[in-house]
Amino acid sequence: MSERLRLLARAAPLGLVLLLGLGWLLPEPGGLSLGSADGDAAARVETTLDALGDAPIVAVGFDPDVGTYPEIRPTVRVLLADLVARGAQLVFVSLTPEGRALLVAELGRLEAEGTDVATLVDLGYVAGSEAALVSLSRSVQAPGAPEALQAQLSAFGLGAADLIVVVGGNDLGPRTWVEQALPRIDQPPTVAIAPTILLPELVPYVESGQIDALIATPMAGASYRAAADPGGEGAGADRPPDRLTLLLGMLVALAVVGQALGARLVPAIRLLGRGERG
Amino acid sequence: MRRPSVSALVVITGILLLADFLIVNDSLGQLASIAVDLAIVIAAGAALAAVGSLGLRRGMDLWRRRGDPVGAALVLVGIGSVLVAGLRPGSEGAADPAVRWILVALLIPIGATLFGLLFVSTLVAARRSVASRDPAATLLVTTSLITLVLLLPIGDAPGGWLGTAAEWSLEVPIAAVFRGLLMGVAVLAAVFAARTMLGISPRDE
Repeated sequence: MSERLRLLARAAPLGLVLLLGLGWLLPEPGGLSLGSADGDAAARVETTLDALGDAPIVAVGFDPDVGTYPEIRPTVRVLLADLVARGAQLVFVSLTPEGRALLVAELGRLEAEGTDVATLVDLGYVAGSEAALVSLSRSVQAPGAPEALQAQLSAFGLGAADLIVVVGGNDLGPRTWVEQALPRIDQPPTVAIAPTILLPELVPYVESGQIDALIATPMAGASYRAAADPGGEGAGADRPPDRLTLLLGMLVALAVVGQALGARLVPAIRLLGRGERG
Repeated sequence: MRRPSVSALVVITGILLLADFLIVNDSLGQLASIAVDLAIVIAAGAALAAVGSLGLRRGMDLWRRRGDPVGAALVLVGIGSVLVAGLRPGSEGAADPAVRWILVALLIPIGATLFGLLFVSTLVAARRSVASRDPAATLLVTTSLITLVLLLPIGDAPGGWLGTAAEWSLEVPIAAVFRGLLMGVAVLAAVFAARTMLGISPRDE
């Protein structure tokens, strides 16, 4: 490698950061979209939420992980805002320490943005993984909740919820809820948001009706956000993903990897062509 | 063959929980509830023990000047900061503003930065994989390149076609491979569970 190429390679990460920063600052051009082709997953979420009565109790199992949460964060925030706007009483619980850490941050954000704290009940972190879910499906102690809700949760556990929302990550996610909690509380309507990596294991539960709606791809998330938040303003102070920055990053990845692949494959194809002519 | 006392305990607890799931009976429910509560207490104890063990190990590393002293010091400072913020008199525990600040201003941005660095390191790894001339690596990188094209955030009709193709690729070929892996893992887990319950160890083979 020549000295100039070596310098260029060293400066490349800085150039990438500058390019992405530029994409973030520039106004977004038209013709960009993150939405899915048919928006079926988004429609399922809307149908499930529309079927809820007034002031529904929504149990939110919040166990994303730090690594994959950025992928689903905008969708989770819009869904929470959507539920708050529908007058839902949200009961949060985390079964993993990582999920708890992210939940603490999300609750802080909701409170800072002026959400009525009376509508947010935090059950905190419950140790015991699957055993904790089984226990919660029997009875839930919620000392900070309004009295009527406390009584319902104590008597019916998670079964008091009109809707279950599971925000999943690498550890305890929608699959665990389907296996350990939902059959014990008569399968209430369930919406799951999970990173793409969980899609293959979750799709069968959607097909079998155990999960009513699943958002597990960035496209489905974008479709739901477009439906629930037509202005594209994001939830509260949250800024939705910037499509131009995403496009620039992806083009850089395509160029860098494509160049390496081209350098590897083109000579091989040429050699093959010469061999055939020979 | 090992003494099957632990295995017997596992089998009995499993049957108890299963019976409670299938049969409506108050006494059975109370027994199952005790088993579940015990499991929760044991899990909580194990989690605390794990954190204590990590702290102790890093403390010993620092004391004996072995391994990575800077890393050990950072781990101890991290554990100490969260403990002090969450357990000091008058603190609101995990919901305390100081704990929230540590999470929101430090932990989550640091985590995001580390995962952001994956963008650059993954690209470098992909180039090196291609340069290794390994056919499997070349196939892997080619496939990821195609997936990347399908996920480009383009609107209108071309975006629709790409989106349909992306959804199909996720739900059919990629899901098929993942489910194959999951089935393999499930079969192994079932075999391992059966061996544990029957008290069969590698020495018995």
